[in-house]
Amino acid sequence: MQKITPPRFAVLQLSGCAGCEVSLLNASEWVEQFDLVYMPLVVSAYDVPPVDVLLISGGVRSDEDLYHLRRAVKHAKRVVAVGTCAISGGVANLGNRDEVRELFLSQSERRDLPRLLPKSQPVDAFVDIDLYLPGCPPTPELFMAALLQPPDFRASLTVCQECGRKKLKDMKPKHLTGFQKGEVLPDICLINQGYLCVGSSTRGGCRALCTRPGHPCVGCRGPSDTLIEKDSHAWLESIQRVFAALTEIPLEEVREALLSPQLALFLFQFSDYAGGGRPPRPKEKVL
Amino acid sequence: MATLTFPLSRIEGHARVEIEVQNGKVISTRFQAMEKRGFSLMVQGVPAEQMPVIVPRICGVCSTAHHVASVKALEDAYGVQPPAQAEQIRELLLLGQIIQNQATSLFVFTMPDRLGVESLFHLSEEEADGKTQFDIARRALMVRQLGTDLISLAGGQFIHPVKAVVGGVSSGVDGVQAEAFHQRLQTALPTACQLVDFYWDISLRMKERIGTWGDDQPAYYITSTERDQPRFNSSIIRVMTPAGECCREFTASAFRQELVFEETDYSYAGRTSFEGGVMRANSLARANMTRRLGIRLADAYLRRLRSEFGHPAHPILLFDLCRGIELVYAMASASQILEQDLQHEDTQLPYQPRDGEGWGLVEAPRGPLIHHYLIERGKIARGEFIIPTVHNMLAIERALRVAAERYISADSVNLELERAVGRVVRAFDPCIACATH
Repeated sequence: MQKITPPRFAVLQLSGCAGCEVSLLNASEWVEQFDLVYMPLVVSAYDVPPVDVLLISGGVRSDEDLYHLRRAVKHAKRVVAVGTCAISGGVANLGNRDEVRELFLSQSERRDLPRLLPKSQPVDAFVDIDLYLPGCPPTPELFMAALLQPPDFRASLTVCQECGRKKLKDMKPKHLTGFQKGEVLPDICLINQGYLCVGSSTRGGCRALCTRPGHPCVGCRGPSDTLIEKDSHAWLESIQRVFAALTEIPLEEVREALLSPQLALFLFQFSDYAGGGRPPRPKEKVL
Repeated sequence: MATLTFPLSRIEGHARVEIEVQNGKVISTRFQAMEKRGFSLMVQGVPAEQMPVIVPRICGVCSTAHHVASVKALEDAYGVQPPAQAEQIRELLLLGQIIQNQATSLFVFTMPDRLGVESLFHLSEEEADGKTQFDIARRALMVRQLGTDLISLAGGQFIHPVKAVVGGVSSGVDGVQAEAFHQRLQTALPTACQLVDFYWDISLRMKERIGTWGDDQPAYYITSTERDQPRFNSSIIRVMTPAGECCREFTASAFRQELVFEETDYSYAGRTSFEGGVMRANSLARANMTRRLGIRLADAYLRRLRSEFGHPAHPILLFDLCRGIELVYAMASASQILEQDLQHEDTQLPYQPRDGEGWGLVEAPRGPLIHHYLIERGKIARGEFIIPTVHNMLAIERALRVAAERYISADSVNLELERAVGRVVRAFDPCIACATH
């Protein structure tokens, strides 16, 4: 009997937090279906060999990140950008503000170490990506879907659909509650309770892990298919309509809160918001 | 002069070791952290109340510790004390982190060193009994996953938790789910003990092969857990002398008066020292500075450690054995907390945000973690993160020197050195993403 060789995959970790890798370790079904040939967090191997699937996590922050990225994609049949940092820079975008960069770059001179690039950048600023897997981090189920690509896989359209909290027409707060403040009523939509939740615009598939126990969605899975090919202005208008329908909070108050740092994970997934002049990612390529 | 460079894998983050040698004499051993994202600058101008969501992204392995430390720093600044039940749920979160981290370090990072393989996922047929070993991988991953599942139960999201909020936690733990998880932990505990016993055995065998437990001189130890029954949701930092005397206690806000923090020009991470001496944090520090764990199963392991190695114990490979003890402790302790009613009272107290200064402390898997914020007009004017790995930096370099001197002579470099470098660094389980943030 001929021995079937399992597909080979590698995980290249650029500048990030390793949360994506920890999530991948939870998706332990791959252990029996794939041959993991490179992932410095768990395997002693110093170079990315040719692979069927290359997962890339983290943003491009140093010259060494860029070197590893360019080398690794050469021998990969399929390249997947995983996690919000690889796709958009994630929270690292808070460090791309000019007033922060001035200080950061001046304090980062070291000898013999990788040099930091002027800005943190997403991986598709440098290489072609076959599939985007957003999330901070993506859940183990989503990792398995990205690896196996089952033809019938469909994540829910939005986090809202997975959350299951009831939207009420007669419970209209007049101001935002504060990001995390106050008692959270179970079963009732967080927006009805004055929380800044963007679950109605955010791509589903996470099982609404944050909103169900009472924390507003910060949009780490990025824009839903309805919004992903549009720009951040289109999103702002649409989310403001949601707040107008469910609350009496002044639009200016909502608008200001929507553009605050807590939503960095979400906002920078709009390429116009991140700057750099790249087109939006096509929805067919986003899991 | 020759410089030997060792890239490192099976640790959290990007780092390498450089050893300078001249005529067989070791000139220097350097542990270099090679990445930097700049969180202390990134958070400038961020509305203070948003910190508990942003700072877990410093590290996906230690995110829970950052999440809780951040909330505690804000509570310190706002002058609010969370209700007892919220404190219990935060302790659960931190225990989930200990399970996840210690299982990862033991089984994924360091077990391959003891079995002579490249990774836990490459336990092939040639290595003794292939079937048993595949079974070990499966069971190790199962135990590890209990940690992230517990974080999810107590913290909402499974990697970057969200449920700790200023004044408490956003909701309690549902009784049915708590009972189910308690059962899962009870069922898994014997498996975890078998794995820890197996790990202890293969460590003894490795010691026979290499002839050392990584002997090094005694050091100061630092932790923020208490003397009896550790609490990871901690409040006071303690330091112990190399001889085993407790010599100092201080709050997080006194950190700069008690410890010396310095940057180096060859690493993106800083380092600390105590009265000019080398310190050690992490599992061995806790084991040396704890009278008893308060859980019979775990205390039996602690007694075994003390009877075999004395007290305080100093060889560095004991860090790994202590992680095994803590894995058992954390599973049993979490299981006890889950037997309590965790939704019987308010989980959150009201508070009024105000400007000022706040310090937050927790015992992370690698030692005391401090978040320090200055808040002006509701925004972070200055954010400082004092990372437990930096307390171990000098200790790592000193232990590397001991290893280098053991394997380098005037006429040759014993190739065991490469494996020794990996063993030394992994014993301290450094977290580079945190250390450089």
